[in-house]
Amino acid sequence: MIIPKVNRRDTLRYLRSKAGQPEADAALEKLLDECEERLNKAIVPRYTYRQFRIISGEDGGVALDGCRLVLEGEDIRRHLAGCDSAILLVATLSDGVDRLIRLAQVGDMERAVVYDAMASTAVEDLLDKIELEIAEREKGRYMTWRFSPGYGDLPIDCQGEFLEALDADRRVGVRLTPGMLLVPTKSVTAIIGLSDAPTEKKTGSCATCNMRETCAFRKTGERCGG
Amino acid sequence: MDRKQTFKKLLEDNEFVFLDGGTGTMLQNMGMKLGEIPDLLNIKDPEMLIGLQRSYIDAGAMIINASTFSSNRYKLGRTGYTTEEVISAAIAVSRKAAEGRALVALDIGPLGLMVEPTGNLSMEEAYDAFREAAVAGEKAGADLVFIETMTDLAELKAAVLAVRENTELPVMASMSFDANLRTFTGCSVEAMAMTIGGLGVDALGINCSLGPREMYPIVEKLSEWTRVPMLVKPNAGLPDPKTGEYSITAEEFADCMEQMIPLGLKLPGGCCGTTPEFIKTLRERFSKHRFTAPAAGAARSAVCSANRTVVIDQPRIIGERINPTGKKLFKEALKKRDMGYILSQAISQAEAGADILDINVGLPEIDEPEMMRGVVKAVQAVTDVPLQIDSSDPAAVEAGLRACSGKAIVNSVNGEEKSLAAVLPIVKKYGAAVVGLTLDENGIPKTAQARIDIAKRIMDRAVAIGIPKEDIYIDCLTLTASAEQENVLETVRALRRVKEELGLKTVLGVSNISFGLPNRGLINRNFLAMALSYGLDLPIINPNDEEMTGAVRAYKVLAAIDRNSTEYIEAYKDYVAPAPAGAGGQSSGSAGGQASAAGTSGAEGASGASGPLGSAILHGLKDDCARITAEMLETTDSLDIVNEHLIPALDKAGEDFEKGRSFLPQLIMSATAAQASFDEIKKRLARTGGGDVSKGKIVLATVKGDIHDIGKNIVKVLLENYGYEIIDLGRDVDKERVLEAVVENDVHLVGLSALMTTTLGSMADTISLIADKRCDCKVMVGGAVLTPEYAANIGADFYARDAKEAVDIAKKVFG
Repeated sequence: MIIPKVNRRDTLRYLRSKAGQPEADAALEKLLDECEERLNKAIVPRYTYRQFRIISGEDGGVALDGCRLVLEGEDIRRHLAGCDSAILLVATLSDGVDRLIRLAQVGDMERAVVYDAMASTAVEDLLDKIELEIAEREKGRYMTWRFSPGYGDLPIDCQGEFLEALDADRRVGVRLTPGMLLVPTKSVTAIIGLSDAPTEKKTGSCATCNMRETCAFRKTGERCGG
Repeated sequence: MDRKQTFKKLLEDNEFVFLDGGTGTMLQNMGMKLGEIPDLLNIKDPEMLIGLQRSYIDAGAMIINASTFSSNRYKLGRTGYTTEEVISAAIAVSRKAAEGRALVALDIGPLGLMVEPTGNLSMEEAYDAFREAAVAGEKAGADLVFIETMTDLAELKAAVLAVRENTELPVMASMSFDANLRTFTGCSVEAMAMTIGGLGVDALGINCSLGPREMYPIVEKLSEWTRVPMLVKPNAGLPDPKTGEYSITAEEFADCMEQMIPLGLKLPGGCCGTTPEFIKTLRERFSKHRFTAPAAGAARSAVCSANRTVVIDQPRIIGERINPTGKKLFKEALKKRDMGYILSQAISQAEAGADILDINVGLPEIDEPEMMRGVVKAVQAVTDVPLQIDSSDPAAVEAGLRACSGKAIVNSVNGEEKSLAAVLPIVKKYGAAVVGLTLDENGIPKTAQARIDIAKRIMDRAVAIGIPKEDIYIDCLTLTASAEQENVLETVRALRRVKEELGLKTVLGVSNISFGLPNRGLINRNFLAMALSYGLDLPIINPNDEEMTGAVRAYKVLAAIDRNSTEYIEAYKDYVAPAPAGAGGQSSGSAGGQASAAGTSGAEGASGASGPLGSAILHGLKDDCARITAEMLETTDSLDIVNEHLIPALDKAGEDFEKGRSFLPQLIMSATAAQASFDEIKKRLARTGGGDVSKGKIVLATVKGDIHDIGKNIVKVLLENYGYEIIDLGRDVDKERVLEAVVENDVHLVGLSALMTTTLGSMADTISLIADKRCDCKVMVGGAVLTPEYAANIGADFYARDAKEAVDIAKKVFG
């Protein structure tokens, strides 16, 4: 699967300050075009996911059948309320993107920031596509929005066991630093609940997001979801 | 017989050596939860493992893996067990299971952390963790080591070196590839074959990630690039996301594996999803065949990085610019450890067409091995061009080769006994290629014959210790035409005879030829063309010199190497003949046109930024800025240019961004354009000995644990272009290092960045250390997860929301 066109609007949102909504001029569009072409050559999208039956966990955590990981916290419990299964998912644009951004930072900082913003957008685009694939597999079932470790009160420290449960290093080459950063950097983990009954199909709200105080979008008065 | 010998004997026999199948997936079927570390079963439930391993031996496995895939200090970190505890238990368990019927391999998997440059684990730290595991394995009685499922070439290299340097155990090494014939980190099959094969492993191969059908083309590729016995352990197809079940049967698996026999498959086995039944079926099927070693292919001269292979089957350019000799700026950069300057040299050469980069960091007053290690790592992080390690200090050569993630060239050895004895063993140990200079104790011989004699001596010595002929490149040495005119032809004649009579590749530094003559470029170009037509394979030149690179391109067309002139046409498709001399006017006319891509930042034009310079900065026109500044310097004081033109224009660009009238790339382009202006001013000041334009020194760092440094780098670009001198410590920086830089340089402002909540702790620690020791130094902080409140909480003096605010803070601090 490739990402033929990175979402321009979202890319530009990463690249502006809080005030105003400037229009990209022709020169900037040209820069974006050039960056997109090179970035698309560098991206190798990889992902893996696995579906687990939810079993009631002790101490309020959400336990998954056959998996050591227990999802702790009120927010994930609420998120998965009414779901019988959960999908754990990891996706990455792979190491080539990190290399490209690193290279650009030596002498082409303006390109580096464009690659960075574009890749952040592209990894979300990739997740959207994976979600469609899952929806296709699970036709007739209802899905929650994507919830990630670090959102709300789901601790970011669960990333290690999350990746181990997916065998993420072997399947897609995603690892963790001791500071809990995913590497390659343009990688995302997510949890999607599945249910036979309609779930609240609302997108993630700022209230449960761990970026709420500092989010680039929120600073501009926008929301990332929907 | 010694069991280690038994393994070597198995490799020598004309029989297959059967390996085992999946362990983790089998254990999961037996009830182990996903995410559990199977290694701990060695202590908690050894009978479960013994049962599994026996069933593999019963099925016909001749070597079983101890359950030690995750037994290293990083993956065991949370379990409370040490590496040695788990490994000694595991080997004992497997010995018991084997009962002398099979050999026991210490299984070594990836450390679980990503090594630099993508991650922050250093190769040296990785080496130490692997050393610990390997030593424990040998002590516990393992028969051999199997390093497997690797995806990063540097990590695998560290593991192989750790085993070979600290134990006597034989080593099998294997990586996991994707269907695109690359590992997850982009490492190619041939790079693994050359780099890891070159380290002298006993078996080399491919495991995990794919099923046997998808693995065939990868095995085929490997068989073209190695003569080391091949091991192949595919998965049983792909797992189902819902059930975790694998997709193919033992019969299908054996069908596919059987097809690999003609490729020279020596050690078949299975990985995830395979069971004892798979190994049994495999063994039955293979009993109808005999192992046949693949026919030796044609020897091939090649070097590589993890991601790029350069086959020396045609002239390849070695870029000579990373070398301080005679370059004042370069020397300064080395002394200040300013990697930015060195890296820009690497990138510009790679973009200009260098196939290989020579790296020379020899300066009397620096620690050369340490510098070589640092520069090799830094260059590899930004380019995939293979490297040539250039030093007369064997310790620096070894440091460079260790750090090199790929197969490098060593520059150089010569015919002197001392050099041969010191350099060749290092070349052999790391599987590198080597440049042999045709000189010895008596200097450079005059005649071609005498140079060939030295070349032969070097070749014989190299081959005797196991360096293959195809990895020896001879430099017949260029002498200056002005001083030793007759010798020019001797050099190229010797070159031709080295190729024809000794069958070796040739390398030559070209530009010495013209020393002492006017219009040196003309001589260099013609000598290069001459040497190429005499058969030169590796010209060492400045690839940024378009005339020289062009001469190589032209030669490749004329010698029918560049088929249909494809590369030549690609290089010159936008070529415009330069205007005749004396036509005057604009001097630019290059093909790129990069400057014109700049944004028209700020819709309402250049108010607040006066004149053509201000406008050029606002529009991000780098070349124009340099030109206009140079013109202005004829009539205007440099400080006036800075204060009345540069700074107001930068302020305007910053304001446009802040007010939402422009985007970040446009602000950065304005800053970079201003840099061109500053450079002109600095040049002028250096010439006239005038004052310093530095407005103050600022230390910047991304804190320990954090590897995202793009935000810090944006701040750096902006601050630099306001005239501040930046001491950039990079990413993942210890707090002590920050303090050291502050004290050493008497710095009064530090900027710290952190991206993750998890690294804010080390930001707080760094601030409190600075506050303790240097109360006169202010700290500003920034980063996605920071807030002004949090910044104040951890004792920062300032919070900068973005790069523009960082500039405002600097102005405040320095007045």
